[in-house]
Amino acid sequence: MEPIIELDRVSFTYADADVCCLRDITLAIDEGTFVGIIGPSGAGKTTLTHVCSGAVPHHFSGKFFGAARVAGMDTCTVSLTDIARVVGSVLQDIDAQMVASVVEDELLFGLENFGVAHDQIEARISGAFDAIGIADLRQREIATLSGGQKQKVAIAAILALEPRVLVLDEPTAALDPVSARMVFEVLRTINQTRGITVVIVEQAVALLSEFCNRVIVLDQGTVALDGTPHEVFAHAEQLRRIGVDVPRTARISNSLATAGLIPTCEPCLNVDEAYKLVSSLINPQKSGARTSNVHQPIDDERGRSPHAPRVELNASPVVEVRNVSFSYANGGAAVHDLELHVAPGEIVGIVGQNGAGKTTLTKLLNGLLKPERGTVAIAGNDTNTTPVSTIARHAATLFQNPDRQLCRNTVLEEVAFGLELQGVSSTEAQRRAQAVIERFGLPANEAPFSLSRGQRQMVALASVVVMEPQVVILDEPTSGLDYRECMTVMETVRDMAQNGSAVVLVCHDMEVVSDFAQRVVVMAQGRILGTMPTHEAFRNTQLMEAAHIAPPQVIALSERLSRGVSPTFAGIAEVSHLVGHVMELVRHE
Amino acid sequence: MNNVIDYVPGTTVLHRLNPVVKLVLAAAIIAATLLANSWFALVGLLVLTLALGAYAGTLSRLKGLLAMLIPVALIMLILQVIFVRTGEPVLVVATTNGLATGGRACLRLIGIALPLVLVLTVTRLTDLANACVEVLHLPYRYAFTFTTALRFVPVFTQEMQAIMEAQTARGVEFDTRNPFKKLSLMLPICIPLLVTSVGKTDAAALAAEQRGFYLRTRESSYKRYPITALDFAALAFCAMLVVLGIVM
Repeated sequence: MEPIIELDRVSFTYADADVCCLRDITLAIDEGTFVGIIGPSGAGKTTLTHVCSGAVPHHFSGKFFGAARVAGMDTCTVSLTDIARVVGSVLQDIDAQMVASVVEDELLFGLENFGVAHDQIEARISGAFDAIGIADLRQREIATLSGGQKQKVAIAAILALEPRVLVLDEPTAALDPVSARMVFEVLRTINQTRGITVVIVEQAVALLSEFCNRVIVLDQGTVALDGTPHEVFAHAEQLRRIGVDVPRTARISNSLATAGLIPTCEPCLNVDEAYKLVSSLINPQKSGARTSNVHQPIDDERGRSPHAPRVELNASPVVEVRNVSFSYANGGAAVHDLELHVAPGEIVGIVGQNGAGKTTLTKLLNGLLKPERGTVAIAGNDTNTTPVSTIARHAATLFQNPDRQLCRNTVLEEVAFGLELQGVSSTEAQRRAQAVIERFGLPANEAPFSLSRGQRQMVALASVVVMEPQVVILDEPTSGLDYRECMTVMETVRDMAQNGSAVVLVCHDMEVVSDFAQRVVVMAQGRILGTMPTHEAFRNTQLMEAAHIAPPQVIALSERLSRGVSPTFAGIAEVSHLVGHVMELVRHE
Repeated sequence: MNNVIDYVPGTTVLHRLNPVVKLVLAAAIIAATLLANSWFALVGLLVLTLALGAYAGTLSRLKGLLAMLIPVALIMLILQVIFVRTGEPVLVVATTNGLATGGRACLRLIGIALPLVLVLTVTRLTDLANACVEVLHLPYRYAFTFTTALRFVPVFTQEMQAIMEAQTARGVEFDTRNPFKKLSLMLPICIPLLVTSVGKTDAAALAAEQRGFYLRTRESSYKRYPITALDFAALAFCAMLVVLGIVM
């Protein structure tokens, strides 16, 4: 069978760029596959989706070499509209993609344009709604939908056109883990029931390995790895060099293979596979009986986050939230009875679904919102009586979207801007800014908006670091970043905590929270369900279910092992601890 | 979040009229407001607009708009009172003519803005675009440009708000009471807003093209927008308004 998408030595350079974005890419995608594309930022992932959908070379001009064929048509010789009959694409920016104000009209738009017979339109629309499971949204105003719902509407609008290929560019970047998984489940359904080929760019390796049957790793415009998830994630070392994460369970099996406990084989991609592997290594009766002989790692040591700063937590809190309630006049995530104290040097994670009130809490902290009841005090300043600009001297916020923060002409001015606002003299501000910029390795004289997404986030972070604030508030600091950028950002945050800043971290990535936060606040429906040490919270199955959070893989695995194999696994939260413990148990047998 | 021009669902006669006829109705009220000279007609037209809004259930939106317009109208009144120097003196600088022209300018300003917003609140943007293409034979690309511009208003408002919040949290004193200082602080924000909007419009253009924008013709629309008896009645009413405007 002829592949549905075929790239033959494709290279592409954008008209306004000097460097090649894609180099000599040859690949064929068979009809009916579910293909995931991953790679560090700047690797050419979005450009590759544009080549598949015909936007390159029709919408974006530049130098195009080689040939791209979609369903046998050379994309250079047919129009974008003809390609669109075969390939439907969902862009990164959902708000820009929408053409209508009501959901139903959004679906109608494409159907009308492509001249679908009017007696078939109703069937197409209801078919698409049923496939995605959003028939109840049909008459809703798009402006009132949540991020996850909008994403589904965008997919439904393309699905109604009955394309043979669906190309999606990071559709889950702004979604919480539960909504992200739902989007993937929808895609799997249409892939399996309708045989639609899915090509998706995604950073979450756990989702990719679970749903895709082929993963393509891009690095600097070339295909670095290509194969089934098992084949690709076996190359942990190479992926780390490229800057791509692997599922934590794959790290466990790869480490066990390196240690010689198991033959080099396919990596474990999920908790189930890892559980089977580890339990096959350890004979349950024996190890259970010998538990007492096994050296018990100190509980305190294994329970703490591997990267979390070690600090004295006796200092008095710099963030004090007492019995706070707030509701928006026109609806929106209200919060009730919030109680939170953060000490200098502490990293506290805030976790929960979209709409749980996490962002509302951060805005209450930096004074953008004033509590209706209760008090919020930042370094002793009551936010009710202190102007936001004064609070800003004590608490710095890093927002999810760096573009809303940047407003100066050069990186140097940008980083110095916050200090100047505080009344620091211009020369002194520039000197301090220069020091931070050098540490981060940023180009001081470039315009911030000419940098890549990851670098813009680093500029925004640098302008937070330079302030040396007592309180740092981070709202999804890692979304849209690749694995390496994510680690750089979080390590910087940890350093700030070690230097005595109190950090409040709102984050959807539970692995990041598990690695860096000492305590977590679990939120659902505007209330705090619990505040406790990070790993204790993730081990609390009831709490996790109540907040609709999937715990990180390693904690989920060690919990299952402690129930099914040996109770000594309880509380292990890190790959190296788990591997070490398995090796000890095996040696004792 | 509700915007002044967001669609308010309903099934009233005003909702059911052909979108083009609704535009004509707004145009007729505006024309009559410009033509009419008597206080009775100006106030009457304003009352008519508000009554229509109350009937269609969008009065709260119109009130919101009034709250924004009245200060502007008052500034206009004061300027007219200061600059129009004919007629009998009334109080300090005010003259009878000044008050009369100022008052009319006030009423006209409000009378022009309200009918357009009224029409937008009872019409879906897609219907408006499709009806203009079908009835008025307007090329779809113009209709699409117009409706997209309107659709981006709330998107950009939200973006602007998010940017202001981000800058405030950085320590920019948007909470200052000095309006000139606030204005000078707002200028740098235009950069991020401009960058985002250029990106968004480019993405919107690509997305529309990938969904067959260039194939669209006058016959494409799934819904039809015929002119019914009800619409003819409304058109007759419009004609009457304009005539009354000329006479009064």
